[in-house]
Amino acid sequence: MASTHTAGHPVQASSAEALAGTLPPLVVDAERVASAVAQGVHGRRRTGQGETFWQFRRYRWGDQPQAIDWRRSARSDRLYIRETEWEAAQSVWLWRDCSPSMQYRSANNPAKVDRADLLLLALCALLVRGGERVGLLAEHNPPTSGRAVVNRLAVSLAHERKPGAPAAASAPPTRTLPRFGTVALFGDFLAPPEETLSVVMQLASQGVVGHLLQVLDPAEASMPFRGRTRFEGLEDEGQLLVGRAEGLRQQYLDRLAEHQRALRQGVTAAGWTMATHHTNQSPESALLALYVVLSDQLTGA
Amino acid sequence: MLALGSIAFAAPWLLLALVSLPVLWWLLKAAPPAPRFLPFPAIRLLFGLNPTDETPDRTPWWLLLLRLLVAAFIIVALARPLLNPAEAPTARGPAVLVIDDGWSAAKNWPDRVEAMTLAIDQAERADKPVVLLTTAPARGAAPPSTEPLPAAEARRRALALQPKPWPVDRRAALDALATVSFETPANITWISDGIDNGAATEFTRRLQQLGAVTLITDSADATPVILTPARDPGPALTVLLHHLEAAAASYDITTLAQDGQLLGRQTVVAAGPTTRVEIDLPTELRNRATRLQVEAENTAAAVVLLDERFRRRPVGLASSDTPDVDQPLLGDLFYLDRALGPFTEVRRGPVADLLERQLTMLVLADIGTLTGDEAARVEDWVNSGGILVRFAGPRLTEGTDDLLPVTLRAGGRTFGGVMTWQRPAKLAQFAELSPFVGLNIPNDVEVRQQVLAEPSPELSDKIWAQLEDGTPLVTADQRGDGWLILVHTTANTAWSNLSLSGLFVDMLRRLVALGEGIGGADTATPLQPHLLLDGFGRQVAAANAATIPAAQFSDAKASAETPPGYYGTEIARQALNLGPGLPELQPIEALSGVTTASYGPTRQVDLRPWLLFAALSLFLVDFLIGLSLRGLLPTARRVAPALIAVLFTGLTALPTPVSAQTVSDLAAIDATSETRLAYVTTGDPRTDRVSAEGLTGLSIALRARTSVEPGDPVAINIASDELSFYPLIYWPMADVQPAMNDATRQRLNAYLRNGGTIFFDTLDQQFSSIGGVGPGTQRLRQLVAGLDLPPVVPVPPDHVLTKAFYLLQDFPGRWASGGLWVQRPDDRVNDGVSSVVIGSNDYAAAWATDQLSRPLYPVVPGGQRQREMATRFGINLVMYALTGNYKADQVHVPAILERLGQ
Repeated sequence: MASTHTAGHPVQASSAEALAGTLPPLVVDAERVASAVAQGVHGRRRTGQGETFWQFRRYRWGDQPQAIDWRRSARSDRLYIRETEWEAAQSVWLWRDCSPSMQYRSANNPAKVDRADLLLLALCALLVRGGERVGLLAEHNPPTSGRAVVNRLAVSLAHERKPGAPAAASAPPTRTLPRFGTVALFGDFLAPPEETLSVVMQLASQGVVGHLLQVLDPAEASMPFRGRTRFEGLEDEGQLLVGRAEGLRQQYLDRLAEHQRALRQGVTAAGWTMATHHTNQSPESALLALYVVLSDQLTGA
Repeated sequence: MLALGSIAFAAPWLLLALVSLPVLWWLLKAAPPAPRFLPFPAIRLLFGLNPTDETPDRTPWWLLLLRLLVAAFIIVALARPLLNPAEAPTARGPAVLVIDDGWSAAKNWPDRVEAMTLAIDQAERADKPVVLLTTAPARGAAPPSTEPLPAAEARRRALALQPKPWPVDRRAALDALATVSFETPANITWISDGIDNGAATEFTRRLQQLGAVTLITDSADATPVILTPARDPGPALTVLLHHLEAAAASYDITTLAQDGQLLGRQTVVAAGPTTRVEIDLPTELRNRATRLQVEAENTAAAVVLLDERFRRRPVGLASSDTPDVDQPLLGDLFYLDRALGPFTEVRRGPVADLLERQLTMLVLADIGTLTGDEAARVEDWVNSGGILVRFAGPRLTEGTDDLLPVTLRAGGRTFGGVMTWQRPAKLAQFAELSPFVGLNIPNDVEVRQQVLAEPSPELSDKIWAQLEDGTPLVTADQRGDGWLILVHTTANTAWSNLSLSGLFVDMLRRLVALGEGIGGADTATPLQPHLLLDGFGRQVAAANAATIPAAQFSDAKASAETPPGYYGTEIARQALNLGPGLPELQPIEALSGVTTASYGPTRQVDLRPWLLFAALSLFLVDFLIGLSLRGLLPTARRVAPALIAVLFTGLTALPTPVSAQTVSDLAAIDATSETRLAYVTTGDPRTDRVSAEGLTGLSIALRARTSVEPGDPVAINIASDELSFYPLIYWPMADVQPAMNDATRQRLNAYLRNGGTIFFDTLDQQFSSIGGVGPGTQRLRQLVAGLDLPPVVPVPPDHVLTKAFYLLQDFPGRWASGGLWVQRPDDRVNDGVSSVVIGSNDYAAAWATDQLSRPLYPVVPGGQRQREMATRFGINLVMYALTGNYKADQVHVPAILERLGQ
């Protein structure tokens, strides 16, 4: 039987206090997901600016005398230079869609916006462990590092979902970012591909690289409905009466695939990447894939 | 009417509507079901899609079937199906319903109502008017109505009918029918009680002239029985049971008390039309019986109400003593009650109340003087045949009235006391003329004290029993038709152990035998109905029944004007039973041409409500299925809390009994939640202030020194406030104290009699020391003139007041030398605790302290010791009032002796 729809309940919770009460669990969840992923990922493994010891190297002509490690050098006849690991901090901007369509959830699955929040905060926690600076795309604060940033982001996200907050747009905001920044966008991206891609192109033109994670409900991915059905959009798209919903399924799936293909094509053209995540899948796998991609982007830049 | 096996249809043409069901099927099938409503974010991807399969979704076949079933049920229900339909009336004329609603119809009344309803239903379906004729006369002598009624109105009237507690009058019904004629032969249904009361044959003939008669009667074993009291009651309670020979042979007769308590049940095997039944009851229970009833017979004729005539000799006991629950063996009336109880009906109460009812014998134990009105009434009663038996006692020695057989010498005579030489006296043999002659005198009966008669020439004729020395023990004198009898000793064991012997019982038995139930009933006034029986033999409150003149009561018969029941007043009531006025039971003779039937179990059932109910249920099911198909059905999880909430609200909204708490209740709770000392307000503000201050100071001292923790003292108005909450009342004698009225005296008497203690303070010690009587004492004498106060004595040295808490020998207050008076401690009334304490030392002023325990008034002659002693006396007084004679107990004597240094 198909899903019985209800909108994601944390967003429609009656007060900001109730919402704030869910923050610690959300942060804890995010930390848990992040730590599961972090065990499989390691550092840059390159020499560079940083605090951590990386290797000793023979003194070469032109090296600064201050870099000589005298303690090591005293044990032999050669001079050694102490090298540290490269620790260039990058700035990462995050955004997730919290428009009404993201509140959708089918039976036994979390709302899409909840999953997007979780992934965003988990990614944030992971990045902060790597020493990156993290900020929200929708905010105008500069990105910061440190463990407190996870909590700060969680509060900001909750604030956006507070009842009475203006309905958010389903397209990411356009904003002038420093070069070589990185962006991660979470959303269902069900709006026409052109809308999404125009934002991506605008950001890419500033030299920013990024990643799109399309979060979809299983019901959206498979359309399991049957019988005489009146569909209604969540963002005032209108209504549609269908005599037999199952008759539309194959056409719908084709059109969804086409939609995703168009998105992927545009994103790849901008040098970005894109993945799709369903809310009935585990968040860890999505986060791992996302983190690996982002690490490559961060280190490869 | 269309009949299909055991089911018939009253409106069969409506079944044609069933033809429309296939059309309905087709219509329902064509209409698509209502769509489900689904929000869907990816709706944009759906716009503009062309479904591959255009066939719209169909309503499932089983839902269609369900809906057709609902329609079919409604159509069939409209056609009025009847299960086991009754025979339809064949005649064309109106339906005539003759209903016997006399006493005998009460048995099986529901069957009769059903028969009526059935007949009226048939008339309604045939659209015929109904004539409703009831044969029992109505109250008010209105003739039976023979007016044709619409069926609905007839049903309404028939359902309102109740069986009457009097017999049917078929002659009156015959007269009503005399003028009736119908154009076409009528259908006559006679819902009869099966009993011929003389005119049944005639009545049947007349009915037959009007049309076809169906006579419905009870089956032979269901005819009612009649219970009548026996005309010649012997010593046992006897009733006669009348029944038809064919009826059941065994009946249970139950005996009930006034409150409905079952006293006995007796199974009677009926032999012949009339059976004589002696109700076998223990003598104690017999007098409590007010109602005999044949069990399982719910007619008024199966009930016999009992009144005074069925009782044993009533004996009234009166005494000036209070019924003392603590020491019943010392009461004046205990031995009398025990001796008389088994063979008489004993009543206790004030003399005036006792004389309200019929009384054979009146026993006054130690009542000295009857008041004027009482004396006059008792004299009247004795003159008309009553037996007045008086026992001597301390009060009788104080003063008497003239309702005595002999003149008494003042004071009593004591044998075997310290100052006398005589031994306690024994009884002499009874004289030949004495009613006690032949009674065996036990050896151990002794009389220690007696009252003596003044010698006179007639004295010897009046003696019924005497002591060995010739002094009279029982004297008697005839007065009018009755007797005045005096027993010269007490009815309890104070003066003699006569009351412990079997002789006492035998003597009382002889005395009771002298009289016959006499007096009381006034033959002039009409008897008002008091409690009446309804048609089912239940007691109901009297409503608009006629009164019966007392003189004609014995001839009265139960009728519409005078239904059976009790007449008279609550106290003196007489029973009018239905049974004695009824003729012999005779079954109605069946005439040829009359269809007979009996009230049977076969009856038709109207299936319409059931079908409509089924249709409604199925409709609800369909509604729920529709909701569920559209995805709108809320899950049980969400509905349950709402249901529970509704249920809970409903439960809590049930009316809860609300107890009305008036202001006086609150005051009573306030007064009784703590022990409180009380003082009487005198009207003199200064005295009242001193009383309040004094009792406050005493309460403080009590709290400090004893385990008595009294609350704040209470001022009481002796005329209006409830006294019984307060164990001790302080009453100073102020000059302005108003005199008491009778009601106040009665309240005070009741308070003193039931264990209250009043401490009178005359405040006039300073005057009495110079000789004469102080103003407070005079005031006290005026005030207590009408009170039932015992003689008082100065506090003896061993009185409980001297050792209730502190050991004291004098009782100073503000003044020191005034005496203290209490009731004689050997009075056994009230556990030997004096109900009055009288002092004159202005005690409250000595007790009075401010909140810091500083005394407010000087004491005279003065000194801390006097004040301390005053306080100690106050504590002793409160202890005495609260614990009674507890300290008189010998248990404490050794310790007290030791402290006294002896």
